[in-house]
Parts: sequence; C-alpha cells; structure tokens
Amino acid sequence: MLEVSELDAWYGDARALWGVSLTVGAGETVSIIGPNGAGKSTIVAAIAGLHPSVRGQVTVDDEDVLRLPAHRVCARGVAIVPEGRRVFGSMSVHENLVLGAYRRGVRERYRRTMAGVLELFPRLAARSAQPAGTLSGGEQQMLAIGRALMADPRLLLLDEPSLGLAPVVLDEVFAAIGAINARGVSVLLVEQDIDRALEISTRGYLLIEGRIVAGAPAAELRDREDVRRGILGL
Amino acid sequence: MIAVQSAVAGLLLGGLYALMAAGVSVTWGVLRIINLAHFGLILISAYLTFQFASEWGIDPILTLGLTVPVMFVAGGALQWAYDRLGVSELNSLLVSFGLLIATVQLVSNIWSADFQRMSAAVNPYATASLDTGRLVFPITTLLAFLIAIALIAGAHLALRRTFAGRALRALAEDRTIAGAFGIDHRRLGVLLGAVCGATAAVAGMLFALANALTPATAYEWFGTVFAVVILGGIGHLLGTLAAGLFVGALSGLVSVLLSPAAAPFVLFSAIVLALLVRPRGLFVRAVR
Amino acid sequence: MIVRGLAGIALAVGALAVLSLYRETLGVPVSVLALLTTMLFWVTQATSWNILSGYSGYFSFGQAAYVGVGAYTTAVLFGRHRLDFGLTVLIAAGLCAVLALGIGVLAFRLRSLRGEIFALLTLAVPFILAALARINGSIDGGQGIIVAVPDFPASIGLFQDFLYLVNLLVAGAAVAVAFLMARTRSGWALATIRDAEDVGEALGVATFRYKLTALVASAVIGGVGGSIFALQIGFVTVDSVFTLTVPLFVIVMSVLGGRTHWIGPVLGAVLVVLLQDRLTAADLLGWQPVILGGVLIAMVLAAPEGLYPRVRALLPASRRARPVDPSELDIRMSPVDGAETALVECDELTKNFGGVRAVAGLSLRIRAGELVGLIGPNGSGKTTLVSLLAGSVRPTGGTVRIAGRDTTGLPPHRIAHLGVARTYQIPRPFASMTVRDNVAMAIMFGREPERSLTRARRVATGHLAMVGLEKLAHAAPAALNLHQRQLLEIARALATAPAVLLLDEALAGLNPAEIDNAVEVIRRIHASGVAIVIVEHLLRVVRAVATRVVVLDRGSVLADGDPATVLADPAVVRAYLGKRSHA
Repeated sequence: MLEVSELDAWYGDARALWGVSLTVGAGETVSIIGPNGAGKSTIVAAIAGLHPSVRGQVTVDDEDVLRLPAHRVCARGVAIVPEGRRVFGSMSVHENLVLGAYRRGVRERYRRTMAGVLELFPRLAARSAQPAGTLSGGEQQMLAIGRALMADPRLLLLDEPSLGLAPVVLDEVFAAIGAINARGVSVLLVEQDIDRALEISTRGYLLIEGRIVAGAPAAELRDREDVRRGILGL
Repeated sequence: MIAVQSAVAGLLLGGLYALMAAGVSVTWGVLRIINLAHFGLILISAYLTFQFASEWGIDPILTLGLTVPVMFVAGGALQWAYDRLGVSELNSLLVSFGLLIATVQLVSNIWSADFQRMSAAVNPYATASLDTGRLVFPITTLLAFLIAIALIAGAHLALRRTFAGRALRALAEDRTIAGAFGIDHRRLGVLLGAVCGATAAVAGMLFALANALTPATAYEWFGTVFAVVILGGIGHLLGTLAAGLFVGALSGLVSVLLSPAAAPFVLFSAIVLALLVRPRGLFVRAVR
Repeated sequence: MIVRGLAGIALAVGALAVLSLYRETLGVPVSVLALLTTMLFWVTQATSWNILSGYSGYFSFGQAAYVGVGAYTTAVLFGRHRLDFGLTVLIAAGLCAVLALGIGVLAFRLRSLRGEIFALLTLAVPFILAALARINGSIDGGQGIIVAVPDFPASIGLFQDFLYLVNLLVAGAAVAVAFLMARTRSGWALATIRDAEDVGEALGVATFRYKLTALVASAVIGGVGGSIFALQIGFVTVDSVFTLTVPLFVIVMSVLGGRTHWIGPVLGAVLVVLLQDRLTAADLLGWQPVILGGVLIAMVLAAPEGLYPRVRALLPASRRARPVDPSELDIRMSPVDGAETALVECDELTKNFGGVRAVAGLSLRIRAGELVGLIGPNGSGKTTLVSLLAGSVRPTGGTVRIAGRDTTGLPPHRIAHLGVARTYQIPRPFASMTVRDNVAMAIMFGREPERSLTRARRVATGHLAMVGLEKLAHAAPAALNLHQRQLLEIARALATAPAVLLLDEALAGLNPAEIDNAVEVIRRIHASGVAIVIVEHLLRVVRAVATRVVVLDRGSVLADGDPATVLADPAVVRAYLGKRSHA
C-alpha cells in the first residue's frame, strides 16, 4: 500500500529525517511513535506532499508520489488529518465535510459518503450548521477525521490526533480510528500517546531524532522498556 | 424629500461601487493579492464599451459579448502572472499600483484625457428614467443597481453552494490543508482572477452607460471602492454589498445636506473610524 | 563618522549653491537651475517618504497629504493674507507634525495593524484633506489660490535663484536629518522594525515611539517641501498638490534608489527627474507614468533592494573593522539581588485561543539563579507560557510579576527593560545587520542601554565570545547555519542584560555534537548569574542542565521539583507516554 524508503527531509538547513524507511500494508494500522520533535509529523507531511524539502522515495500502490503537489497526492487516495486539526474555522461543519470530498471521482457521491461519516460521528450531524471554529477540541478532531474520510481514502494519515484532548474524548477518537480501519482503510498513525496508538495498531515504528530505531509488531513494542526510555529521552 | 431622493439615488449608485469592490475584495481575501489593477480593467472596459457602441453602433449592453471574454482572459492572465512571479501581499499593492498608473496613462494616450460620452443615438438608456410619482430614477442607475445585486448575490451563492466556491473559501483559510484535499490553488486562482475580470467588464459597461468617461475617473473609484472593501470586510461579498449601499446612501445624503465636495470627507473619515473600531469590517460578525 | 557625513552633505550643498551664486560667471543657464530645483523638490519628498517607509517598512501612500498641507498653508497665509513667507513655512511644518501625530497615534495603536492596512489608511488621508480644501471657502473653495513672489534680497538674483537656493537648503536639511536618523539609535530601531518588529520590541526597542518619531519627521520635511512648492507653482489647486502622482513618484524614486539607505531616495530622485526631462525633450511626456509604472514593477520584482546596494558593491570596501583586543571585552551581567526573591511570579494565568484553552489557571514562581526546565507534551502550553512571560501575548486572565512589578498588559519592550529576554523556536535574526550588530543593537536598547554604537559593538563582541561566535562577527545572519543562528539568538537575548532568559526550544534540530556545545553555552550563561527557563523536548538535556523541572500538561502545572524526582513521577510518564504507563 505505502512504501517509504530512505526518506530524508530538511527545514532550511536543519535536517529533520535521516533515511527513514517504513511500510504500511493494505488494511493495516501502523503507528509511528517517538518523543516530541523527533520528526514524526515531517514524515506524514512528506507523504502528503506538504513538505517540499525532501529526498528519497515514497510510493502509494507502487506509484511514486514524492514531490507531487499535495492535490495530486490526494488524487491517489491519500487523506490527512493534520496536527492541530486545522479545520476551516469560519465554514460550517457541513461545508468542511463536503470540502473533504472535493477530489474528482469522489465529489459526485459525497452525499452517500457523508451518511457513512455521520454514522461514525453522530455528534457532527447535530452540529452540521455550526461554524467549525466554535466546536470543542474533541469535536474539531472528529470533524478533521470526518473531513479526511469524505475523500474516501485508501490510506489515512493521522497526525497526533490525541493532541490536547481530554481522556474521555480520546477513547471515542481512538475507537473511531479502529472502526475506520475495520472498513478497510489503511492507517498511518503518528502519536505520542504510545499505549493508545499501539493498542489499535498491527505494527509500530519508533522514531528518535529523525531516525527509525525500532520497527516491530505493536504488542512487542508496547512491552519494551527501551522504547519507553527512548521516548522519555533518557 | 430631496434628502430621501438623494439617499435612494446614492443607494442605487452604491450597487455599482459594491460590484467594483467585489473583485478587489475577493482576490484580496482568497489569494492575498491586493489588485489595484482591477480599476484599470474596469476603466478599459468602460472605454471599450464606449468604443464599440460609438464606432459600430452596437447596443452598449450587448458589448458585454465582447468585453466580458476579453476581461475574463485579462483577469486570469494577471492572476497567473502574480502567482508565477511569487508576488507577496505588500508587493502586489506596489506592482498593481504601477500597473494602474500605467494603464490610466495608456487609456489617456489612446482615447485622450477629455470627457467623452456615448451619444444618445447609441445609448438609449441614458435618457430614460423611472418615475414613481414622488421619486425619479434614471434607468441606468436602476440597471446598475439590479445587475450589481444579481451578480454579487450570484457570486455569494456560488461561493457557498458550488465545489469551486467552497474550495476558494477553504483556500482563503488554509492554503496548505486545502491543497491536501485536492484543491489546486493555481488553477482556482486563475479562474477567480478571470471571473473578477469579467465583473470588471460589467462594471465598466454600467459606468459608461451613465457617465462621461475620463481616464482619471479610475483614481476616483480607487478611493470610494477601497472604502467599500474595507468597510465590508476583506473577502466578504455580502459585507461588500452592504458597505457599497451604505457608502452610496451616505454620499448621497451628505452631498445634498452639506455639499457634494463634502462626500469624500465623510466617507474617508468613515473608513478611518471603521479601521480603528472594527478592523475586520463593519459588516462582518466578529466570530472566529 | 557622523561629523564627516554631515560635513560631506554641507559640502555638497555648498558646491550646488555655487551654481546659483556665481551663475553668470559660470554661465549656467536658468533652465538648468529650474531642472535642478525640481530635482531638489523631489529629493526632499522622496527623503521624507523614505524616513518612515524605507527605514521602517511601513509603506505610506499619503505623501500628497504633506505636500498639500504645506502648499495650502503657504498659499492661504502668504498668498492670500500676506503673512511672512518664512513664518508660513514654520506653520506648515507644525500642522504636518500635528497631522502625523494624529495618524500615528491612531494607526500604530492598532494591535492588528499590518503594512497593507497602514498603506490604505495613509491613502485615505489626502482624499479627506482634498475634500476639506474643496468644501472650505476659506482654504480653497474650488477656486485655487495665486501665490505671488515673496520679497527676497536682491543680491540673490532672479526668483529662480531664490527658489533654487531655498529648495537646496531644505533638501540638504532633509538629507542631513535622514542621514542622522540612519546613523543613530533611531535608525537601528527602525531597521529592527523593518526586519522583525516583534523581535525588536521583545529586545527592548520602544517601537511605537520610534515609528511615531519617524512619521512626524517625515511629515515635517514633506510639509516644508510642500510649502516651498507653492511658490514654485505659483497657483495652488487641489488637483496640483493632492495628487496620486506624488506617492507614485516618491515610491518609485526610493524603491529605485534603495530604501534602506539615506542616499537611495536622492539617487532615485535624480534619475527619475532626469528621465522625466529627457522624455519631455523627446515629446514623450504622455508616456512617463507608463514608464515609471513599469520601472516600479520591474524593481519590485527583480531588485527590491534598489540600485544603491549594487552601486556600493562596485566600490572598493573602504573601512575594515578594527580587530578587538580581548582585554577590552566587558560583559555586564545584572542579576537581581537576593537569591531567594521571586524573579517571576505567575498567578492564575490563563490564555484562550478561540475555543481552545492553551494555558489554564497556571501559577508558578521562579527565583534568581534557577535553571528551570519547562517540559510537557506537544500542545501543553509551553510556548504560550513563554510568550505570556515576555509580554508578546496578553493573558485572558491572571497576572505576571517580574521582580515584584506587575507586568500584565505592559508592552514587551518595558518587560524587556525589567529584565526578561527570550529566544524564538525558529531563530529570527535581523537580516539586514551583521551578526555583531544584531547583538550590538540589543545592547543599545536593552535594560542598561549603551548609547554609543562603537562601545555597544565592542561589548557585543564579548557576548559573541560567550556563545563562541566571535569569529563570525562580521558575517550576515543568512550565512550562518541553524546552530549558529540559535547561538546568535541566545547572544542577542543575553545582550539585553536580562535577569531571566527564556530559551524556547533553542536546541531543536541540532545534531548531538551541537547539542553538547549548546549545553555548555547554557551552563556558562547560568554560571554568570542569569536565571534561565529552558523549553526543551530532549529530556536528557533537561536532566543534565536543569536545577528544577516544571511539567505542563493541558495548560497547567502537572509536576514541579528537582529533575530526578519529577522525571520519575508516574503522572509525568503518563502524560508523555499515554494511559497505561503507571510504572
């Protein structure tokens, strides 16, 4: 499904990623865990075509997408739930969802897709006409996920969905991610809450200071003491 | 009674200001380009209407068949150039200021700096008026008002109901994320520039219908229209329409109650006040 | 330096005066004098514009307002009421100063003021004034005013000689003012405003005051120039003075010549007026705005820095910086007395962004001499807290006290003067200054301002040595790598003589060797007596340097204490790793 190999990335002259390789198989949920500032979000941004300063190879279903502009990566069935949610604040919940289905081939059947999304997040249906900027943090996160689902992706990139959310809301959000994966969407999840992330993942990678230092089945990663110490930076 | 008549006349005139302002406001809000050259497009359109009607005897309204495509292409090309050259917001103000000054002078070189008006023979609308008994309205003003409202309302609906319109609003908010959902800002930007160019063609025609033309008129619009853009809230179409009507009615009232020359004074004082009190625009709800 | 420059300007004025004083002997045609007079008028106007817009980056489209007010003051008072001409020039200057104060106090107080809004605001001003002149019969009333020739000493010669000399004097004075402003503290302050206004403010530059000063200076010069312009045109109408040609000309001239240097507008004015003269001679005057518009577009797109920097690049480098004797190095650290006094006290501090609560009722005390590691998961409010302490963000609720003084709502430069300095996650050097001058300017505007540039530069070298950048003192910030830019950021903050230094992710993106070096620098600074708050992701760094660790989670303090205890706290581990990590 997704294959990243030898990915390097920079911010100006600051190097953020060093030869990152990882794969996500069809129907899999894969987590990238690691401390703050390790470069997790950069990987997701690079895959989505949002980070121009990159080198290496990223293929989605054997098609190279690296350095394609974001809107053309989107056309290959990749959707992103960005860090910090970034919903279109002045537009209504309904409009945010409709926009998710902007890409050609998907927009024609957006009503049907939306029914599915609202089934997953019934709270959004109740808020349909409200400006997205007035939603609570948890609702905004659901909207951001819903918007990405509207693009009917084959691969969903989730960047720190737990950011700033209360534990009760987190349970709901992670349950939804599991449900999405159960519908056959492959998921690449970037998270700092390693327990919640690994619980719903098949495999995980540990990223520290821009390098992948471990890749293993989720259950194994969860119990390794060195992973915990690595994330704490100790 | 005179005050009411002038206020209503001003209000009707305000529709045209709003139409002129709409193009500037939307490109500013969505694409972060302050396109003063828009006034140049309006000016050229007004002169082309004059030229086609006077030379070939085409009905002035039908000249839109020629001017709209021309301005559609010109507006799109302009936007394409801004994008290709990577013009920033502040630089767009400088670059398009240069373009505007050059355009006005070119128009003056081609058509001369004298006042020119379509003769009654080619422009049957100029002399017609609607008499309601108490109030009298020139047909040209009414026409401008109705067309302006129709266009702005249509554009407003398009921004809310069509995929391209929603995509433009998304671009205005977050260009990066909009891109991740398949929205190509280049293509949409050119499309938006082209549509704005087309509205410039309509505004120019409507202006030429009712007024004598001189190149320096562009500078007079410049002031009033910017008042409308800022009062209406950058990028807000309905706000722009409301601001246009407000500015028109206010100018009308001031002209008759004080003096015509006092209108700009009141108007610009209103902008300054608005900027200080409601920097986002008078007609924008303070929600974000 | 400054004296030499002023002498040079005086010499140039003197030399140009000779053209008129010995006009007949030298055989200078009167037409040349007339051309030079026009040139001088534009030198004055372009210089006036440049003092605000070129130096500070706030573009004004309102230059015609000053020309108009100046011209009408003289036209009405001298032309109509026969007041003394010289007196009307002074009144014009005063009126323009008042106008500028009004605009400045209104505009620069706007928290959301952006360059584009300022430009449009200034664009509106001449329209208002023009309308005012038209309506008001005692000013113009739509008639226009004839301005007669004033009395002048017969020894001067023709009226054209008089005009030329007066314009020369005014232009000379304008250039001298622009030169002085560029070479003193105001020039540095305005340059920081142009490069990165909020950074300058945080380093102690009273940006509001300097912007206002520049605006008033610009208005006075423009008004005086406008006042003489009334004599030159002899008949003042609204259309002849309140015209958009004025801002077009001054902007083109300054952009063409170079906006950041005092001589740029002079160069630009000379070139544009010469061009205008050639076009007139070739009977192409009608193409002038087209050409000027084209020049403006081309310059903005292709060479926004203008011609002057290119001209200077062709000249041989004149001066070389004097090498600094290390014994001269003198770093003044100003720790606040009493190790147990609370330097920083936050009480119930809250900050909401829209519906999101970034900092939620946070209370925290930091004492002198501490090195506090501020940590927490992404989005826990660390950077917001730093911004609240430095005053660049205003709290929704609660108070901040620095060294016992309530700083809630104070402008950042006042907080800087109380002893708070910060660095930014992404380094933001002043791009137009050398590395050393980046630091020197912080010394000139810091808590104990050093007014002499020469001394400030010498002290700056000491601060650069503190972070190990002394070899790069004369480099441009753009030539530095990320690590070096972050060190510069630290040196610059240090140069304000802070009591507490806030380091916001100063190590982000560094490789291990660079991190070790930065840790050394931080230890050295701490040893010199400055309290430090360091926001950092790498917990091993925090454990290595901090004397105390504060953990934030969802905007409030989750744990606070010595590093070993805090980092072993299950609640902290849980905040970092997730729900099941109760070790």
